[in-house]
Amino acid sequence: MAMKSASFVSSADLSGLLVRLAEKAELWVPAPEDTAPHRVTFRPFQAGMDLDGHRLPVTSPKKLLFPQGEELLRFRTGRSSSEAAMETVLLEESADPRPTIVFGCRPCDARGFVVFDRAFLQGPFVDPYYKARRDKNLVVSMVCPGPDAACFCGAVGSHPADTQGSDVQMIPVSEGYVLHALTEKGQELVRHLENAPSQAQEQEARHVWESARRSVENVVSLMDSAPHFRKRFADAAFWRLHTERCLSCGVCTFLCPTCYCFTITDETDGVQGQRLRSWDACMFHHFTQEASGHNPRPTKAERFRNRVGHKFSYFAEKHGHPACCGCGRCLRHCPVAMDIRAIVRAMGETEDVHA
Amino acid sequence: MNTLQSIVASVWDQVDMVLGWQPGYDPLHPVPAFVRDPKDIASLIWNPLCAPNLSVYLAKSFKAPTRGEKKIGILAKGCDSRSLTALIQEGLVDRNRLLIIGLPCPGTVDPDALTSVRTQSGPITDVSFADGMVQLTATDGVERVPLDQVLARRCQRCRHPHPVLYDVLLEEVVPRPVPKDPFAHVKALENQPLEARKAFWLRELERCLRCYACRNACPLCVCQDQCLAESRTPKWVTQKDTVADKFLFHMIHTLHLAGRCTECGECERVCPMKIPIGLLKEKTAHIAMDLWGYESGTDPAAQPPLLSYDASVNGL
Repeated sequence: MAMKSASFVSSADLSGLLVRLAEKAELWVPAPEDTAPHRVTFRPFQAGMDLDGHRLPVTSPKKLLFPQGEELLRFRTGRSSSEAAMETVLLEESADPRPTIVFGCRPCDARGFVVFDRAFLQGPFVDPYYKARRDKNLVVSMVCPGPDAACFCGAVGSHPADTQGSDVQMIPVSEGYVLHALTEKGQELVRHLENAPSQAQEQEARHVWESARRSVENVVSLMDSAPHFRKRFADAAFWRLHTERCLSCGVCTFLCPTCYCFTITDETDGVQGQRLRSWDACMFHHFTQEASGHNPRPTKAERFRNRVGHKFSYFAEKHGHPACCGCGRCLRHCPVAMDIRAIVRAMGETEDVHA
Repeated sequence: MNTLQSIVASVWDQVDMVLGWQPGYDPLHPVPAFVRDPKDIASLIWNPLCAPNLSVYLAKSFKAPTRGEKKIGILAKGCDSRSLTALIQEGLVDRNRLLIIGLPCPGTVDPDALTSVRTQSGPITDVSFADGMVQLTATDGVERVPLDQVLARRCQRCRHPHPVLYDVLLEEVVPRPVPKDPFAHVKALENQPLEARKAFWLRELERCLRCYACRNACPLCVCQDQCLAESRTPKWVTQKDTVADKFLFHMIHTLHLAGRCTECGECERVCPMKIPIGLLKEKTAHIAMDLWGYESGTDPAAQPPLLSYDASVNGL
């Protein structure tokens, strides 16, 4: 690794650092739930909260940059004073978002934001709502302490020590963490810590980083699946067979750090209301329901095919990497353990090609 | 003694397909299997991790038989057999279409509870069950946990571990004893003051993602694609990410299942946020028992009380 600004934070000093960061920005950390301490979710930090970097969090920090329900504007209808018959609509823009910090997420979650950036910032249109949040956001990820059976970052061009999408990377070492700044925003944070790691700590960090990176070297890659998807696209029997047990709920897409599809609704209450952008899920029946009543994806087979295609073909061919960070939440929390890895692999198998 | 495989093989000529479970991506997650080829019978498994209620697929995918079709074989635990019975009661599934293989049930494991009592942290490579114990083999060793300690909440309170409706029975497993008070969880919550109950539900439902897994996993949530949660005309629930909207959806879900819910607990099992949403349905089941002495999904010929109207019935 190239020389970067670096700092050491001892385990004992970590909560103090979090308290200081929480004064500057809305700080989100992976923390055990009060009523179920073995379940970790991303939540706003509060003094006294323990950061849990070991257990895989159920939720990702995605809603910090892409809220589940985001008010785009408020409106109120009324009568114009000059023309009594004319109805007027008063619009009010939503307030500017606050600065935010995601602290202690895994590299997969940080990489989810890279997918968001491609969709919301780097296409022909820039999404002003996402941009406003992203500009004021800082991501401090931590080298992953270890995958579980559902993890597959190594199959989608990443690894447990990936730095993509992070401003600062934390590397757990004995008695604390070595922090490396990766971007200018990250430099800002690390510079203020003023506690350079010792040579021994840097050496240990290098070792932890290397062994994490190497831990997925033998994973079968799903990176070049677009041609297989095109070949299977019209193979209706393939999709029916592989999606038969799917319940068509939204667990996979709502927990996914890279799923960014949304719907826009006007939620009216009397003469006023708000225009809301909220999460939508391609696994829901009404996702492609047209006003005519026609639905181009009437069954879960077409819907699941679209989800695979978007992630591993359409997005991948346009941007050079799949819209998937390999965090494994879509299968880990699926009610019937639908395994997208197995389906993407099966697309490429030459046997049992259906008519 | 019969095994699962021998029973399925013995009825194979009567069915087009058997709905069962087979291994998933790891030993903790068996998945629903649709066996259409007799050579796949060998892949079927049955153990306390076979949690999914397979009756959810019936009304949605296999309701109407076409001419010449044979039956659908389905593996059913006690709770699953109640769901099947309720579907038959409501005319949503034809009894003659089914060949039910009943499974006396020792209770199913809550993988979350299992994770929380584990002392090892390595990936699990094998799980086996014997003498009321769960044996976990992981990359860092073997440990044994009492099954009772890791049962899903729905199984701790189960009144029908023995199937209520079946054509053949797998008598391999001893069903779990019925607890003294199946409604103890509901009563414990009810005994709290109103403010505490309100705080409880606000805290729990705040976490809801509106992913609708609870709805889609419910065998009796048969509106599916026409659910009012997504209806814009008329519009009942907004898209707002507020606890009030989430609460409204869950109350409607509960009321649509009143007197119908068979307490299989799938809604609670599949919730990624682990909201104890089953409590709401247990409350309505308790009311149905109190008010009408009615227990849903136990008698295929019974008329569900809210699917009929008789002004002379006490309490209406």
